[in-house]
Amino acid sequence: MAKAVEIKNLRKEYGAKVAVNNISFAVEEDTLFALLGVNGAGKTTTIKMLTGLASPTSGDAIVLGHSIVKEKDKVKEIVNLSPQETSIAPNLTVRENLEFMAGIYGMDKEKIARRTQEMIEMFSLAEVEKCRAKTLSGGWQRKVSIAMALITEPKLLFLDEPTLGLDVLARRELWAVIKRLKTEVTVVLTTHYMEEVEALADAVAIMVNGEVKAIGTIDELLAQTGKQNLEEAFVEIAANA
Amino acid sequence: MKGIIFCKRTMKEILRDPLSYIFCLAFPLVMLVIMSVVNESIPKQANMTVFQIRNLAPGIAYFGLTFIMLFICIQVSKDRSTALIMRLHASPMKSKDFILGYTLSVIVLALLQLLITFAASFATAVAVGTKLPVTGVLLSIVCLLPSAIMFISVGMIFGTLIGEKAAPGICSIIITVVGMVGGVWMDVDNMKGVILSVSRVFPFYHGVKLARLALAGEYAEMGQPLLVVCAWMLGLYLLAIAVMNGKLKKDTY
Repeated sequence: MAKAVEIKNLRKEYGAKVAVNNISFAVEEDTLFALLGVNGAGKTTTIKMLTGLASPTSGDAIVLGHSIVKEKDKVKEIVNLSPQETSIAPNLTVRENLEFMAGIYGMDKEKIARRTQEMIEMFSLAEVEKCRAKTLSGGWQRKVSIAMALITEPKLLFLDEPTLGLDVLARRELWAVIKRLKTEVTVVLTTHYMEEVEALADAVAIMVNGEVKAIGTIDELLAQTGKQNLEEAFVEIAANA
Repeated sequence: MKGIIFCKRTMKEILRDPLSYIFCLAFPLVMLVIMSVVNESIPKQANMTVFQIRNLAPGIAYFGLTFIMLFICIQVSKDRSTALIMRLHASPMKSKDFILGYTLSVIVLALLQLLITFAASFATAVAVGTKLPVTGVLLSIVCLLPSAIMFISVGMIFGTLIGEKAAPGICSIIITVVGMVGGVWMDVDNMKGVILSVSRVFPFYHGVKLARLALAGEYAEMGQPLLVVCAWMLGLYLLAIAVMNGKLKKDTY
């Protein structure tokens, strides 16, 4: 299977602190890959480097055939991101937010209208499309945020802690949306929820203190640690790190 | 094109905030009415001309631009505090798109504010039994545009450098300084001395003087203040570009 992302000895330092320490792994196309780790493990920093938001201190990653070091602008055109915090224009309506993002990525009027309608249908946003984004609940805002990332037709979508802070119902609803995304685009998702990884991921990398400590399918990680569930496997891997 | 799309979004964000109407439109109009009433109460022997409508209208129009500065400052700092800006940094948008978008969005707002302020000034002039020259008013609006860009630059600089909570405070200081040394509320030319010397150091006095000269049709006098205003505009706009470029690079590092 073709590789969507190939990370080679990627490292990020902030002063004396090493946020990401020479990580290397690959993400296959048309899969949902999860980066699992506790807060401060280096998941968000990794995503920031892969989306061109942060420059690596050393190393490189090839994203859909383009280097994040040498071809950052090209990478920005073909990937998109739904950040950890809700990232919407608060005084714009849901429809305007979607149109705004499509416009930023250079779509013409006709395509903007078509893609906006597609996103409204895909994410069931019709009932709130005329509401200003700031008036929506956290769950709705997160759906709009992901729709804003997907409207630009990215070949690779990064979801940074997509269900953080959501109640159980909103989380389950968003999982259903993310599962549908797997059929359209390669997804890299960061989370610290074990059940989220179990519900969604085809493959998972466990990050601890800026390093990848284990990588594989959930079954492979369970077999590797001899544990019965992902949480126990994670604790085992993190404890031995 | 991305700059234009960002401009439309920024305009919507500002125009959908009710405070924009209070500060950008209502406040200058209220001041116009109040100061016109004050002018009517001042004895003619006092020879105080600063509140006469031909001086008051360009002064208030200039003063109103300081609120444009406040709004762009708050908008930039607010954007920086949200994850939306992270999403935009991850998009193909360049720093020139951000700068163009912010500038155009409030230039339109500034022009609208100037037109409304002068339209209200026409009505006030009629009410107090005088007239404002149409050509002078139009030229005065044109002469206020470099000052508008200058205030937008200041707003972008502070919005980039300081946080959302500190932005209104810093801008309030500048607004007070403009009112004091710009000659909007007092006749600094007649006060002479230190106050006039201090006023001449800042661009505000020259900006107000330029707008008043344009309205009065005293074209021969306009060269020097026009030069000063344009120099400040250019310098501060270039500084705004440098500051925003630097911050964007730092934020994305």
